[in-house]
Amino acid sequence: MNYEFHWNIVLQKMPELLHGAFVTLHVSVLSMVLGIVIAVFLAIAKMNQVKPFNYVAITWIEIARNTPALFQIYMAYFGLGAFGIHLSPYMAVLSALVFINAGYLAETFRGGFQSIPDAQYNASKSLGMTNVQTYRYIILPQMFRRIYHPMTNQFVWAILMSSLGILVGMNELSGETQRLQSLSFRTLEFFIVTAVLYYIITKFVLLSSALISKRLFRGEI
Amino acid sequence: MGGLFTPLSWNDAGFILTGIWNTILISGVSILIGTVLGVLIGFARAESNKTVNFLLGSVLDVLRSVPLIIQLILFSTFMGVMGSPLPPFFAGTIVLSLYTMAFMGEVFRGGFESVQNSMIVAARSLGMTYWQALRYVRFPIGLRSVFPAWLGVALSVIKDSALVSVIGYMELLRTSEQLISRTQQPLEILIGVGIFYFIISYPLSMYGRRVERKNAL
Amino acid sequence: MKLLKLAGILAGALTVMASVTAQADQLDDVIKRGTLNCGVVLDFPPMGYFDKDNKPAGFDVDYCNDLAGVLGVESNVLNLTWGDRIPSLISGKTDVVIGSTSDTLERAKSVGFTYPYFVFKFQTISKKGTPLKSFDDLKNLKVGAALGTTYETEYLAYAEKNGWGKSNYTSFKSENDAYLGLYQGKVDAIISTNTNIATKLQTEEFKDYVAGPYVPNYDDVVGLIAKRSEVAWINYLNLFLVHQIRGGNMNKHYNTHFGSDAPADLIQSLRDNK
Repeated sequence: MNYEFHWNIVLQKMPELLHGAFVTLHVSVLSMVLGIVIAVFLAIAKMNQVKPFNYVAITWIEIARNTPALFQIYMAYFGLGAFGIHLSPYMAVLSALVFINAGYLAETFRGGFQSIPDAQYNASKSLGMTNVQTYRYIILPQMFRRIYHPMTNQFVWAILMSSLGILVGMNELSGETQRLQSLSFRTLEFFIVTAVLYYIITKFVLLSSALISKRLFRGEI
Repeated sequence: MGGLFTPLSWNDAGFILTGIWNTILISGVSILIGTVLGVLIGFARAESNKTVNFLLGSVLDVLRSVPLIIQLILFSTFMGVMGSPLPPFFAGTIVLSLYTMAFMGEVFRGGFESVQNSMIVAARSLGMTYWQALRYVRFPIGLRSVFPAWLGVALSVIKDSALVSVIGYMELLRTSEQLISRTQQPLEILIGVGIFYFIISYPLSMYGRRVERKNAL
Repeated sequence: MKLLKLAGILAGALTVMASVTAQADQLDDVIKRGTLNCGVVLDFPPMGYFDKDNKPAGFDVDYCNDLAGVLGVESNVLNLTWGDRIPSLISGKTDVVIGSTSDTLERAKSVGFTYPYFVFKFQTISKKGTPLKSFDDLKNLKVGAALGTTYETEYLAYAEKNGWGKSNYTSFKSENDAYLGLYQGKVDAIISTNTNIATKLQTEEFKDYVAGPYVPNYDDVVGLIAKRSEVAWINYLNLFLVHQIRGGNMNKHYNTHFGSDAPADLIQSLRDNK
């Protein structure tokens, strides 16, 4: 192998890469929070057979699940642009990620809801619990336990997919890497460091998720 | 001089079809290779002891923790630096296959582990050899139960194959990007691309869900 | 005996040949291969773009074909994005990149530059009626440029020096995306090269747009790039560039793509810079 690695330029630019990593985390966390909120509505709308909402939910979920994330991001950026709606690169990536997260999580939530047998509702009713109590103490805790891991996976997915920001000139980790490498032409060095940074970020998320789940569920899953 | 921006025309049909074909080709090949490797890995992980499992697991873990787009750029650059540059199709297929393998491995491992040990014991006590028990009990049962999960991974590979465009493979999305640059009509072209992926992915995902429901009963 | 002698000579010849092959450089490789893999950014008219048959065309493409011609090999033009240029060279996918690469000293640590083959000026383009008289007016506008280009760096450095901040600035993945963004109204003005702007302004799509002020005090001097270690190959490319001017090919292609003779100051600048 006939290649001299130049690492000092990467070290010099480390603050900029770390800032990119921060933007990556920022956009994926936000996309999860918003995605979860919308997913709850979509799941409810899909389960209740109220006509227009039902259709909106199904269309949303199926488009989100059956088209590439890259397509969603282009659509949010240049597709909406054709209508004169101009999102910044950050907003385009955020809205595409929210759109997809909501679509996938809605199905996860629906699965979680439906996995709880009707008998439990009746049982808690006969114990004299109100509707709110039933949900607060019986249904939601069980549901949360079932959707916790799929949600963690979705979060990791969002982190990885935010790398597509590189394609709309966003300043997240990948986009920042692309900019820095084209100024110095040190492609290999910059992308190696970036790959390591992504690995650390996802490991950090998975580890904290495991720790939290231990506290929350006391070991049982 | 003229002809910088030209509208879409029937001339472009062949160009778009090539893009579609390339998308189908690279995802098909990668799913195939990824599945075969995934079965092997899944089996190895279900069978082997903790140390081997840990080592295998950590390698696969890297493939699942680094964005595909970074893996593609890194691998394609790296091979060049090593002095053996690969054409985009091969570089793309290798990365996409390994990426597929990492996910398929987990799917199949789950499948193999779902076959209860008592069934194997029963098969062995019927006089089957180890290999016969594998061939007639463990594989068929383990593989059948994972079909919906397999389909899920396969569908995501078809969608992720769009990323191979970054190393210069002329698949559907890169084709359409070039047409967008030339025509300045992103909306029409993008919607067309979206419909294509949807038409491939939606029926398959519906089918997968039906099988899943049937399996659950 | 004779046979043995012959075998000895053969073995000797083979050893010599082997050592010759080991020393073969890129120039030999290209000639032996019979194909020149020439990288061009086809996102940057009139230097490189796709014509209506989706075939590569432009000033850089013509240079690729000329180079292949003098080498006596087939020309294979590869489409690159700005970011692909270096990876493609390092990875050996391309032998040379004729892609308007600014010859910065930072980049020269990584790749080998030839003499300059073109000089651009950086300029703004915006819709008619946009309040853009001087470069300092950009402060109050939404500005864009292609990611990782020299004009992006120049603009950001200027903006920082004058305390404008980055909030009004948008990066685009490629030159084409930047023009699409301007066309859609995502940004009020983009920074590009004078040549690309002049070409775009002649099209129907951009007839309502005007070229604006130049980036102050900056000439973008660009060269061909090749692997840094391939000194002999870069030597050949340098001579090729000299011949392009001396033999009149440069002027011919300039005429084809810019519609006039190459300006004397451009030629002078190329001669001065080498």
